[in-house]
Amino acid sequence: MAIDGLIILDNVGRPIVQTSFHSTSPAYPLIHIDTYNNALAKVSRPDDVDPVLYVSGINDDKPSACCHVGCGGLRILAPISGDVDPLFAFAYLRTFIDILREYLGHVSASTLRDNFDVVYQLLEETLDSGGHPLTTSPNALREIVIPPSLLNKLLSVAGANISSLSAASSNPFASPIPWRKANVRHNNNEIYFDVVEELRAVVNRSGVSLSNEVLGKIDTNSRLSGTPDLLLTFSNPKVLTDCSFHPCVRLPRWSRDKALSFVPPDGPFILMEYRFSPSSSNSSSLGVNQVPVPVMLKPSVVINENGGTIDLTAISRLSTRAIEDFTVELYLGQGAGAPNFMVSGGGSWAFDPRTLVLRWEMANLPPSSSHSLRGSWTSSIPNPRAARAFRVRFAIQQHTFSALKIDQLRLTGEAYKPYKGVRGRSLVDLEWRW
Amino acid sequence: MSFRAGPRKGENYELSQDLNSEYRDKRKDAIKRVIASMTVGKDVSGLFPDVLKNMQTDDLEQKKLVYLYLMNYAKTQPELVILAVNTFVKDSDDPNPLVRALAIRTMGMLRAEKIIDYVSDPLQKCLRDDNPYVRKTAALCVAKLYDLKPELVLENGFLEQLHDMIADSNPMVVANTVAALSDIHASVTSQPDYSPDDPALFNVTTNILNKLLIALNECSEWGRIAILDALARYKTDDEKEREHICERVIPQFQHVNGSVVFAAVKVIMIHMRGIRREDLCKQFIRKMAPPLVTLLSSPPEVQWVALRNINLLLQKRSDLLQNEMRVFFCKYNDPLYVKVEKLDIMVRLANDNNVDALLSELKEYASEVDVDFVRKSIKAIGQTAIKIDSAAERCVNVLLDLIATRVSYVVQEAMVVMKDIFRKYPATYEGIIPTLCANLDELDEPEAKASLIWIIGEYASRIDNADELLNMFVDTFTEESYPVQLQTLTAVVKLFLKKPDVSQGLVQRILNTATKDCDSPDVRDRAYIYWRLLSSDPAAAKGVVLAQRPPISLSRTTVSPVLLEELLAEIGTLASVYHKPAETFIGRGRVGADSVQRKGQDLVDDRLATQKALQTVAAGQQSENLLDFDDVPASDSQPSGLAATTIIPQTPAAANLLAGTSANPLDDLVSIFGGGTTGAASAPQNPFGGLAFGGENGFGSPVNSAPPTSLGSSVASPVQTQKPADDLLGLF
Repeated sequence: MAIDGLIILDNVGRPIVQTSFHSTSPAYPLIHIDTYNNALAKVSRPDDVDPVLYVSGINDDKPSACCHVGCGGLRILAPISGDVDPLFAFAYLRTFIDILREYLGHVSASTLRDNFDVVYQLLEETLDSGGHPLTTSPNALREIVIPPSLLNKLLSVAGANISSLSAASSNPFASPIPWRKANVRHNNNEIYFDVVEELRAVVNRSGVSLSNEVLGKIDTNSRLSGTPDLLLTFSNPKVLTDCSFHPCVRLPRWSRDKALSFVPPDGPFILMEYRFSPSSSNSSSLGVNQVPVPVMLKPSVVINENGGTIDLTAISRLSTRAIEDFTVELYLGQGAGAPNFMVSGGGSWAFDPRTLVLRWEMANLPPSSSHSLRGSWTSSIPNPRAARAFRVRFAIQQHTFSALKIDQLRLTGEAYKPYKGVRGRSLVDLEWRW
Repeated sequence: MSFRAGPRKGENYELSQDLNSEYRDKRKDAIKRVIASMTVGKDVSGLFPDVLKNMQTDDLEQKKLVYLYLMNYAKTQPELVILAVNTFVKDSDDPNPLVRALAIRTMGMLRAEKIIDYVSDPLQKCLRDDNPYVRKTAALCVAKLYDLKPELVLENGFLEQLHDMIADSNPMVVANTVAALSDIHASVTSQPDYSPDDPALFNVTTNILNKLLIALNECSEWGRIAILDALARYKTDDEKEREHICERVIPQFQHVNGSVVFAAVKVIMIHMRGIRREDLCKQFIRKMAPPLVTLLSSPPEVQWVALRNINLLLQKRSDLLQNEMRVFFCKYNDPLYVKVEKLDIMVRLANDNNVDALLSELKEYASEVDVDFVRKSIKAIGQTAIKIDSAAERCVNVLLDLIATRVSYVVQEAMVVMKDIFRKYPATYEGIIPTLCANLDELDEPEAKASLIWIIGEYASRIDNADELLNMFVDTFTEESYPVQLQTLTAVVKLFLKKPDVSQGLVQRILNTATKDCDSPDVRDRAYIYWRLLSSDPAAAKGVVLAQRPPISLSRTTVSPVLLEELLAEIGTLASVYHKPAETFIGRGRVGADSVQRKGQDLVDDRLATQKALQTVAAGQQSENLLDFDDVPASDSQPSGLAATTIIPQTPAAANLLAGTSANPLDDLVSIFGGGTTGAASAPQNPFGGLAFGGENGFGSPVNSAPPTSLGSSVASPVQTQKPADDLLGLF
């Protein structure tokens, strides 16, 4: 089992940061970088590069594999050797990216360069040179690697403070709970739950969902002192299926009475993820057991010899809530150009000549409103092949598809009474065929 | 520090000045700049003594940066690192546990011969440290030490200490200890001649098992994976114990980390084999489905790995995910590699209930932008038709719709698929032949052309102008590619046998051209065979060339059942993603080093081949020609490709595969047919459809002497085919 190291490439495929690859030859990271860049050169869309690349060994080296993921404009490679689960590498990469986001805010070539010392420390702490991920829990990590913002603040104060800070975290991992810091103190004890659900669906031209699923998660931000033991109950836990939990959740309790019993980490974390299916039985047939799509699209796309025309109407099916951040995208095919569109009912359209994607945006669709986009484009290639589906994305605040309701939150183990907040939010990602 | 005088000016000189500054901030800033230069590849090794002076500090961050610098130059300049040893040893006694852990971790990473001997004492102390962070760091350090100098680990009793630490009160320490012991175990077993009672082997005993099961629920995701991997290696014959393990592992399916899920799936798949209660197994399988489906909403690369593994699991347990086909529908924005895997799984999941939904999806995909994906979708329609008899007609209608679009590559691909449908359902859809022939001019790809020619030859008696159509191809015969030439040759002979009156001239012309003007030995030899057959005994020719062939069928697995078992035991590894046994690409242990290079090479080809493999149908095209010969004995009793595949476990090559010695699919292919009676008829269904790369190995195999050699040749290169073709002639 070995993740041999990690290499972060910038947008032109040059390494910015890499681990030191102690136990391999110096050429090892280089062949991985080469392999990735060669594979990238062969595909038309950068996303189409196979996620696990085979890397043949040089000289008597063993062959290995290169797992890679994208992050912003960057590409992060994890060379693995031996019969390792590539998912293991991907899981580590994702975790590492999350950690970077938490430390740096925005992850880009320049933020990495500016904070390379922090990035190196993070690499050292999260990945052992033998290939084992080490400390990745944000709570524990913050005790041993100081986030840059905090550090900068301290540097601006007198130099003497620095060493006292190091002393402050001199008893790391003393906490009996691996995911929670010991001795947490907050002036205001509060905990927030954001129930975020995403509807992903493929819809055919007459508005019938072909595949339709709602994935939910409970984003939690805990700012509670001491060691709070929480019990969260739902009034309708039946809507939750295929659940997966943060390690802090006591699984036996959940399987017994569908209540979440846990001692939370400090700060933001994802408490649980689930799937919502209106009726879990008989999932093979169409219709009844699907979540209704909250908009109606009436697309009419005609493609002819030298371009095409679009007439698209979007109608909100919601009667009380507004739809926010509404975007529709359509790839117009090779050779597309000279777009000429009109929108009615607000919003704007744009065409990206590089990606050849037409984009229609509206900040707000009031309940039951109707909007449209009309126009045409030309193509230098006869009978252009445009995408067969519009990609439609939007958000609805204060709304969840599952109508999941938190019944109560009980706290034991501490004397204070926390402030509790619950919010619901829905995201929709549709593929609407024309 | 006179032995390495720094430069007098320039960047390094300034850095050196700052490193020796009297101000703490300035020194720290200078260290950062040194590291920055180091990361962009500048040589800052000259600053070694200056940096080293800053190692003694109570600022932990500064210490870490200095350590980082040391690690970077330890490999190239080990003699300099010796200077730092004392500080390391001292730091491993520091009151701050972070410093102790940092020191011991860094010493483990330095990998310098000279430093190792100093590691033992501090390591001894750190393994017994009060702080769990130090203990867990030290545990991993033992594994690294073992890598460099095993005897040091044995002499100092570190192994015993690790074994004691499995009972540690802190689950993270347990997890790292297990990881370290597993690393040592792996490094022992990678030696070709290790002894089975090497003390460094990590055999999970019942006692250890219980401790692991307790720690499992309490440690981090990475710890869980290490523990689950150890559980997968646990061997027991006690069925109750296996059930117990499975039940304790099942809750891990609810972990958010997909890698934990697959590590758990692997444990279940391994221990489930020893459980005879089918109801219990069914229950495990049912619980496995939801987390797998959940993984499909992850980022594409995770989806891909999940899909490859699901594909394998489905080959073993077709009841898994049987109602979930919709989650595999392709999204427009999915990367191609995800779409291709989804298509494959959708066909696997197809049944009478969902076939309509599947077909309308596939038809939709056939109009997408990406040409590769369109072709694969059309192939999937053909596979569906072959898999589900009752849906064949609907599939044919969809294909006709697609042909009507007149988009060149759609028509060509549909033609190839059509041919396979004819091979599965002979004499069922003759009504559409005129539509197909109408598209003759559109075809420019050899495979599509060859397919249409095959159809014309096969149904020559029902096509009025078959002779005219074939005449066109005979005119351009020498310009065509070999597959087209072969098909043309066969089709003309079929036509002649069916309608001798109209095609006498045609057949003479083509036999003449093929034997005189053709440089492919395949084509030439086949022409001679036909010629002799026709001239010596036309009745026999009829019996041979026009005999009924058994319909093709779609194989349930793309890998042989034996290999499948092996791969399932490695679910959640590279092997299960590549669908190849591990030794073919990592070359550790079980296979000699010399074969590694070659097999590694195969892997690349073979990944292509795997992609092609499901297009079994298409691959059959090459062997089609041979079918014509070989079918006479087969026509009565005809176990199809599937039936033949089940013979595998008893064949010698299967045993080879089990032993891990033979990774070459051809080996077992040949022996399958050595054992079966209906030889080559099954070639088209063979899972390793795109076999062309492995030809020479198949020939070298001892099983090859069995009579139906034709199989090996059907996929080998033209030159090799010559020989068996001659043999066959002799047979007749």
